[in-house]
Amino acid sequence: MILPHATLAEPPHFSVLERVVFAALVIASAVSFWQRFGPIVRKILQSKKDPGFRLAPIGRRVWDFFSEVLLQSKVIAQRPLPGLAHAFVFWSFLGFALVTLNHCAVGLGIGFLNPESQGLSGLFSRLYFYLAAVFALLCAVSITGLFVRRFFVRPVWLGKKVSIESGYIAFLIFALMATYLAAFFTTDASPAARILWWIHTLALVVFLPLIPHTKHLHLVLSPATIFLSREKFSDIPPLANDEDFGLVAGQDLTQIVSLQAYSCVECGRCTEHCPAASTGKALNPKDVILGLRSYLNEIGPATEEPLLGKHNSQEAIFQCTTCGACEFQCPVGIEHLPIIVGLRRGAVNTGAWEDERGAKLFNQLERGSNALGMSSAERDKFIQKESLPIFDGTQEYCLWLGCMGAYDPKGREIVAAFARIMQHLGTSYGVMSKEKCTGDPVRRLGNDLVFQQLAEANLEILAQNKVKKIVTVCPHCVRTIQEDWKAYGTPPEVEHHTEFLARHITQLPAVKTKESIVYHDPCYLGRYRDVYDEPRQLVQITGKLVEAERNRERSFCCGAGGGLAFLGEESGERVSHARAQELTATGAKTIATACPFCNSMFRDAVGEPNGLSAAPKVLDIAQLIDSHLGEPTLRLYTRKSDEDHRSH
Amino acid sequence: MKIIVAIKQVPDRDAPIRIAAAGKWIEESGLQFSMNEPDAYALEEALRLKEAHGGEVIVLSAGPERVGTTLREALAKGADRAIHVTADDLGERDALGVARLLSEAIKPESPDLILTGLQSEDLGLGQTGVILAELLNLPHASLILHVEKTDAGLKVKRELESGWFQEIELPTPAVLTIQSGGNKLRYATLMGIKRAKTKETRVLNAAELAPVAPPTAVLEKIALPTKQRSTQILPGTPKEAAAALVEKLRFEVRVL
Repeated sequence: MILPHATLAEPPHFSVLERVVFAALVIASAVSFWQRFGPIVRKILQSKKDPGFRLAPIGRRVWDFFSEVLLQSKVIAQRPLPGLAHAFVFWSFLGFALVTLNHCAVGLGIGFLNPESQGLSGLFSRLYFYLAAVFALLCAVSITGLFVRRFFVRPVWLGKKVSIESGYIAFLIFALMATYLAAFFTTDASPAARILWWIHTLALVVFLPLIPHTKHLHLVLSPATIFLSREKFSDIPPLANDEDFGLVAGQDLTQIVSLQAYSCVECGRCTEHCPAASTGKALNPKDVILGLRSYLNEIGPATEEPLLGKHNSQEAIFQCTTCGACEFQCPVGIEHLPIIVGLRRGAVNTGAWEDERGAKLFNQLERGSNALGMSSAERDKFIQKESLPIFDGTQEYCLWLGCMGAYDPKGREIVAAFARIMQHLGTSYGVMSKEKCTGDPVRRLGNDLVFQQLAEANLEILAQNKVKKIVTVCPHCVRTIQEDWKAYGTPPEVEHHTEFLARHITQLPAVKTKESIVYHDPCYLGRYRDVYDEPRQLVQITGKLVEAERNRERSFCCGAGGGLAFLGEESGERVSHARAQELTATGAKTIATACPFCNSMFRDAVGEPNGLSAAPKVLDIAQLIDSHLGEPTLRLYTRKSDEDHRSH
Repeated sequence: MKIIVAIKQVPDRDAPIRIAAAGKWIEESGLQFSMNEPDAYALEEALRLKEAHGGEVIVLSAGPERVGTTLREALAKGADRAIHVTADDLGERDALGVARLLSEAIKPESPDLILTGLQSEDLGLGQTGVILAELLNLPHASLILHVEKTDAGLKVKRELESGWFQEIELPTPAVLTIQSGGNKLRYATLMGIKRAKTKETRVLNAAELAPVAPPTAVLEKIALPTKQRSTQILPGTPKEAAAALVEKLRFEVRVL
């Protein structure tokens, strides 16, 4: 079939002069691209090799690439409208790869997609050009929408300064799509078709060298960044050798860190979700990454110039609660936590960080057993008072108390409540006669010396007592035992009490009061451990679950993580107050927590004078369930389905 | 300024204390040991003086092999070298005997300043530093919170009773015993620990430094404190309880 309009974008016959001009433009464009891109690649390659990096298991990497790059899952899920617009632009680029290749080939007189040819190849070409036209239309609309958003709507997290360059890029993309579409309405070899072809070409050759300029680098780098990302959330790499103290100077930047620094697309999702940035602190996770990029541009890797100074401030780095919202949100695979914790390691392991409360915490944990600085005799007294059995190797579970559970009065109430539930369930458990802090606060603050001492001491005590399974009320303990201790031995199995309780939910009282309860996802249970449903199931058997505005993966930190519970929060609004207000705004009578640190922060925040008139109660999920012990269990209500379940 | 800091290793404050079979000292097996806290403040003061004025900080400790960990900790915090007087018989030496050992180890170094903690957290005699000054025939001051170097020597701040302080000047070399809390203690760092491995620790044998002389004071018997529960809960409304509390403070305890 011969199409009524003879051509789709490509005037097929070019003069020699045109071919020479075209070839020259393409070469100039490519050279100009490499002049900017080459040094960046060299800086990444000059960076230190990543200690402990393995490509295997490759399956996860392929999946991440497929889901986050090709499907744009994270881009869309976390910001649906602009995310979808971005995805259309991206998918159009993919679709256009063949069109653009053909476009260049036509310019040299060797075009391979010819809609006018007969048979299969002609059919394929026609179909492909029409498909590309659909993409072009979606892309043109999307990029216009994104342009309007950036230049007129102007969300705060995109930064105060409008990026003019984004305007150029948007215009070029729009021009590429418009010329492609307009060509459908021209006839073959007409002057109009020729002009459109040349505009399309010019847009292409100008676009290419703009890519390695700042944030548009993500077009080339972020697929690699996502593919090469570390295996786990907040995956803190081991120290390479005796001279490795973390991220101290340029020579400590690893290839992955440098790659990530150059991949940032400056979308500000990290900033939007950062508890420090949202409450007026100096820290802005986007600026941390861009600071590293500026450092690499101005000073470079493999140098001894300190990383904390001109481009990143120590003050900001130590304001991080390690809630991980930034790392979770980042659509281009930047892992902020290993970088921020890495910079803290650099400052603490060399003694450059001087902080009165920080030093006190370190000294306490170096000499004593707990982060609260109390005598371990206080823990013994608590165990005696609650008649908690001592673990002797015969029980199934070791109930790990943690510093909050053993020393904090309210944390003790949570432990006592959970112990009563275990008793009620007939689960055998015991507590360690001796237990040290898991090292969570020092790990997050970057003190490898004290962390190693604590991890090793605890691993030894647990091995001596032949502990196989640990359950604890503190998500920080869970994470630190399971992941961070691995650097120094093989930790026992560990789970959070809400996971344990959810497994026994049919044996728990199901009272279903009308009382509305808002559940707050602790960072270390949610983003760090992907446990979202179990606590909700448990809340639902005691009352009516309501959700805060930000929940699950988007939950907002209580302010205590990253060792910050033990430092001072000196500037800005308090993170705990911001979150407590959000939780209280749901109208819930109770705030259900699953972490003794969150619990402590919110009790303080809702109890503030001049605060809210009818302050909600703050209770751990274990306390909610404990208050109904003895009442009918879920099993009575669901006996039939339960038995069905058992017969399978 | 060349500064020597004399440090004692004592049982961890958190350690569960048991009395040894002979009843004269605690059972040391299974105990964890750490740096005596006032000595940690003495080290901190020395490190600050060195940072301000230059010089050298030497840490000195007498005791069995385990003392090595405390010396390494001090080196990790920034001391330049260590002297370990190995002695397994410290229990048989009184404060005078220990001070003799320390003074013999100090003499060849001829330092400008000798710092040590006001007292130890285990025996709490508070004598070793002062006797040391006497043996070395040097001026001394005790209960020091702050040390300042002057052209003539030192200006130091002493803690007196009831929140009073005294400032005195003394020439160097001198011996000062340091009170806890004058400074904020620095933390040991990973880099410090790694660097400490290459720092010198000189080992001196106690028996060769000073023979064991019959002690002038002998520990007869030690006992664990008996627990007494004397907490009283004052009943009633907060107002009534407060009134009752004031009554007790005024007439029973006589502090108001």
